[in-house]
Amino acid sequence: MFLQQLINGLAQGSLFALIAISFSLVWGLLKMVNFALGEVYMLGAYAGWLVVMHVTPNLAVALAAGFVAGWAAGWLIEKVAFKAMRGVPHIASLVCTIGFSFFLKEMATWMFGAETKAMPSYYAKTAFTIAEANVSWLQLLMVGIAVTMMILLQVLFYRTRIGLATRAVALDFRTASLMGMKVDKITSLAFSLSGALAGFVGVLAAIYYNAVNPSMGFVAGLKGFTAAVFGGITSIPGAILGGYLLGGIENLSVQFVSSGYRDFVSYLILIIFLLFRPNGILGKKTKL
Amino acid sequence: MAAWFRKFRVPVGLGLAVLLLGLPRLAGNEYLLRIATMMAIYVVLASSLNLIIGFTGMYSLGHGAFYGIGAYASAILATSLGWPFWLTMPLAGIFTALVGAFLGLATLRLRQTFLVFGTLAFGEIVRIIIMNWPSLTRGPMGIPGIPSPVIFGFELSSSTHWYYLILVFAVLMVFVIQRLYHSRVGRAWVAIREDEVAASSMGVSVFGYKVLAFTLSCLIAGLCGAFYAHFVSFISADQFGMGESFLILTMVALGGTGSIIGPIIGAIILMAIPEAFRFLDEFRGVLYGAILIFVIVVKPEGLAGVKGLFAPASGAPRFPWLHRDKAGKEAGA
Repeated sequence: MFLQQLINGLAQGSLFALIAISFSLVWGLLKMVNFALGEVYMLGAYAGWLVVMHVTPNLAVALAAGFVAGWAAGWLIEKVAFKAMRGVPHIASLVCTIGFSFFLKEMATWMFGAETKAMPSYYAKTAFTIAEANVSWLQLLMVGIAVTMMILLQVLFYRTRIGLATRAVALDFRTASLMGMKVDKITSLAFSLSGALAGFVGVLAAIYYNAVNPSMGFVAGLKGFTAAVFGGITSIPGAILGGYLLGGIENLSVQFVSSGYRDFVSYLILIIFLLFRPNGILGKKTKL
Repeated sequence: MAAWFRKFRVPVGLGLAVLLLGLPRLAGNEYLLRIATMMAIYVVLASSLNLIIGFTGMYSLGHGAFYGIGAYASAILATSLGWPFWLTMPLAGIFTALVGAFLGLATLRLRQTFLVFGTLAFGEIVRIIIMNWPSLTRGPMGIPGIPSPVIFGFELSSSTHWYYLILVFAVLMVFVIQRLYHSRVGRAWVAIREDEVAASSMGVSVFGYKVLAFTLSCLIAGLCGAFYAHFVSFISADQFGMGESFLILTMVALGGTGSIIGPIIGAIILMAIPEAFRFLDEFRGVLYGAILIFVIVVKPEGLAGVKGLFAPASGAPRFPWLHRDKAGKEAGA
């Protein structure tokens, strides 16, 4: 039982880790948070569900649909909540994304109904068994995707020209723009990429839980943010670590405390880390 | 607007007083009075959140939870111990204020973005505790049969009684908040909102005044919750979730942050919309979200707010494409 919970925790942790990366992408660039990221994730899940139900049962196409839907939503949110609000204190942008979060959730409720839709499962067969604990192909795939994403993003940021430009903008927005970097394009790209990643994870989560509903984004967003703060919101490896630790702790708390208090543990971790170690486990010491 | 109001304040005030006092006569039906009562509860709730957001410049997404704590505290005292309303309501308020002070002491050093998430997580924690503590809160079943209050041997039975009680309460609370705003304390809050560093170098205890604002705001939210619990006589945890916090936040943002009249206008508009447009039923949440986005982008301080928190950092125009001629000339010169 213990081992099984740990394995489930790892699989779930991959989801948290990927959402946490989406948060830290935007945070790293602008020191801002897109509150509606959870709802972008939900939107991606619906896009994937629509594709699976009405177009083709191909998993890759569904994941791509989630990616595209998330990209579009991230792009739109950047244009409205950040580009149009430049020069206004940051908090206004945050409140605007809170508005987006509700807008998207209610829109989904209005369009698809509040009830949970069933999502068919993929690769649910057991890949192998260790000490009576089953590991499914899907779980392996999820962990693989999370680690691949981390490596890809690290390569993007530290090995390419656009990554260099992004780091320059993150360091000093004004100076980077004076040096001729297209700061608007880079910000837009980071937001879209962050949204796309969230939408992509939404499809994965929908498959893993076999469910899609309009309120799935709220908890996922808050957990993803918790994972980001837990591991260190300023670094991508930190976000990954935070995601896996959170997944593990949550599933062990189900084992040892009670399933009713599973979210309680996560939120408590969020508050404690915000208070005592806002830079997270791996985060660089900056003033938050 | 302000000058106009000052000139005609006596007739406007009298007209408003007649309207508010005569509403039970004018409305003539129970349903409208119940809506007016709920409107008044939200007016007080929005005004109390304005203490945190508008006066001190901190954003909290946990107000629905404090409203719920007040409601549950009063309901539990009234149903399990059978205490009277005039005792449970202040106790509920004090209890909520204590919880608020505790949370404030812990989280108010956080930066704005993190405070939003911290209060949001706190709100969820409160909801989870209510759901998982059946011996005290009856868990997901909620608390039914909360008794109607008896004040000085007089039982509040009709909607008219409730209406007058909430009217007195709302007017009193708005008056208290207005006096606070214009007191030494209120000036300290505004100083913090405008510039924390400057305020602290002028000898304002930034953290202390923040905690004070948070505590007072929670006190009022708790009182509102207690009132609501006895008014509707049934409460459950899902009435005080994230949606509630969002609704109150939207009221403040729409009406205007930092002014006395702003949250009142916001609460009245948002409570009137679902009644005026019945066909919008399913679409209501979408509309609320759209309103918040629209208001914050076009006029971040709201309809009747003070610029304060949202004064642009530089003198540059917010929407260059609206001032194309001017901007073009400047660029050309």
